[in-house]
Amino acid sequence: MTGALFAQSLVLGILLGGLYALLAAGLTLYFGVMRVVMIAHSAFLILAAYLAWYFHERTGIDPLLSLVVTVPLFFVVGYGMQRFLVSRLRPISLTTMSVLLTFAVALTIEGLLGFVWTGTQRRVQLGYSGMSIEVAGVSIAVVKLIAFGLAAVSLGALYLILRRTSFGRALRATTQHPEAARLVGIDTDRVAGLGFGLGLATAAVGGTALALDYTIYPSLHWHWIGPLMAIIVVGGLGSIPGAAIAALLLGVAASLLQVPLGTTWAQTVFYLALFVTLMIRPQGFFGGRLAQRF
Amino acid sequence: MRATRRLTVTAIAAASALSLSACLASPEQGAGEAGGPDDPIVIGVSLPLTGDFAEPGKGVQRGYEAWAKHVNEAGGLLDRQVELVIVDDQSNADRVASDYERLINQDGVDLVFGPFSTRLVVPAAQVAQDYGFLFVEPAGAAAEVFEQGFDNLFYAAPAIADDHYDHLAEYVLALPEDERPKTAAVASMDDPFAQGTAYGLRDKLADAGIEVVVDEVYPPNTTDFSGIAAKIADSEADLLIVGSQYQDGVNLVVALQQQDYQPQMAAISGAPTNAEFPEAIGDKTEGILAPTGYTPTAPYPSNQEFVEAYTAEHDAPPAEDEANAWTTGQVVAAAVEAVGCADPSPECQEQLVGWLKENEVETVVGTLSWDAQGRPQSAHLIQQYVDGEIKIVLPDDVKEADLVHPKPTW
Repeated sequence: MTGALFAQSLVLGILLGGLYALLAAGLTLYFGVMRVVMIAHSAFLILAAYLAWYFHERTGIDPLLSLVVTVPLFFVVGYGMQRFLVSRLRPISLTTMSVLLTFAVALTIEGLLGFVWTGTQRRVQLGYSGMSIEVAGVSIAVVKLIAFGLAAVSLGALYLILRRTSFGRALRATTQHPEAARLVGIDTDRVAGLGFGLGLATAAVGGTALALDYTIYPSLHWHWIGPLMAIIVVGGLGSIPGAAIAALLLGVAASLLQVPLGTTWAQTVFYLALFVTLMIRPQGFFGGRLAQRF
Repeated sequence: MRATRRLTVTAIAAASALSLSACLASPEQGAGEAGGPDDPIVIGVSLPLTGDFAEPGKGVQRGYEAWAKHVNEAGGLLDRQVELVIVDDQSNADRVASDYERLINQDGVDLVFGPFSTRLVVPAAQVAQDYGFLFVEPAGAAAEVFEQGFDNLFYAAPAIADDHYDHLAEYVLALPEDERPKTAAVASMDDPFAQGTAYGLRDKLADAGIEVVVDEVYPPNTTDFSGIAAKIADSEADLLIVGSQYQDGVNLVVALQQQDYQPQMAAISGAPTNAEFPEAIGDKTEGILAPTGYTPTAPYPSNQEFVEAYTAEHDAPPAEDEANAWTTGQVVAAAVEAVGCADPSPECQEQLVGWLKENEVETVVGTLSWDAQGRPQSAHLIQQYVDGEIKIVLPDDVKEADLVHPKPTW
């Protein structure tokens, strides 16, 4: 591997890892707050990408602007989904049943996407699709940079919400100890609903970022959910910083391994990391107290 | 359960015995009536009109029907009208075999045409072989079709996948030493057809000493091509060879442009001949080369006739599936006219097969001839985006524009 190819792959890995980080953050949030395994997270991601594509197709306006609609929409849908579907599951079997429930939701979304927009692959045509900026011999595609920027800003915002607002404190309290949180007067049901909405809003941002540079088709979400699930286990279930760090590391590893191994095998790095984590540190590498309990 | 199955088997055995005797009896009875000027030539076809291959299957159907109509308007074959019997095999390989069995045995068709695509062509050709029928097929370019030992099969298209790029390979190897690419980067979808095309060119050039510096295969659902693009860009190969279907070709080209890779020559099979390609890539198509089995603008004499007849009926020019179906009709018709018979008797079918083995046929995709296994002996036309439009650049005798080399930057 030449130095230039190494640098190029490293940059590509970081850019991809940023997107993974945002998506994994949402996924780990659901688990942290509600012990829900949200299989449909990546289906919503693809739904948001389709909405961005359709918005651009119809209006010709930059697909980024679709965020103004999709982010609030997904937040409301997420809140509703938690209050009217997930919260109806019996607490004792919540985690396992949530897999079934969200699996069904994922299939429904996939089916509807195929029904409305057919199975044809779609791609947003942008004037700046092929443009790039060159820094020290490394080409950075403008679309990938925008996607990375979006992911970074959203992750930063998520972090600030969780750390600096009273809602964030309530959410973290619910994550750490739901009964204690209820005892100090936190409406944990409402907080859980809002947390779910927040997670789904990250899928809206991620989907829009995805639509900028990827081809989309209804069943694409199955390609995303596997690596994302692996990332949140490696990072420690429920730990947002853990998910972000694991996403970046694994994104870079996949990108670098692609050079010697090729496209087909590089993807296995996520699952190898998952196996290794489960064998030597089942609670994840970056998880806190919560992760240790699961 | 088991009793039912035994009963079914017995029933099938009885039915086939009956139909066999009917078949054995038919030549004598049929001989009197067949061949009369009022008796149409019945051609049996099974096509995937539903299921996986429904789209291309319907294209082939349109081609066959347009051909039959055109022939009948011109007075028919051997002064007899042509009648098509088309049945639907639901893209099912078991069904296609029983369809041809029925067409030949029970319906007593005079001739058969092939179905669409390798998976259905092989079982159908086996049935035709068993009954000694001539089998000309419009789609089934994979190598395995020609490795089954069929001696009655002919593929009605210019070339099998491996030979699609032959004209381009010749062109590259004829370039003066200093203009000839020295290195090549290859990327192909993990798909027999895409790989067949790309590797045909790769191997011919590698044999002539061009160094293959990148050789990547990606799974069909790949959406992120930046890693492959990084490798290709890093290699700075002079020549880019891509075996794609459609969307993967578009994605790879965009990823290569993002990394500012500028090859001297870019040969991409699959995507560029698609009408949506220029829309997807924008103004960056200039100089991209692609092989094509058919184009309505090809100047072969019968092609203009075909395009006019087809366009008049469908308000749109024909695509490759329609063209290959029409070609199948032309090939069979040429043999029928030359031999002077069109009936199911083994003598007639044998003569038709024999004639095609010895002769060339003028078709809408050029002059075709075949080897002993039925592989067509030509190559695909090579098209290139020149001044924003896709034009034939190779071979020289049918070109619409000169090949631009080295290609402009994208």
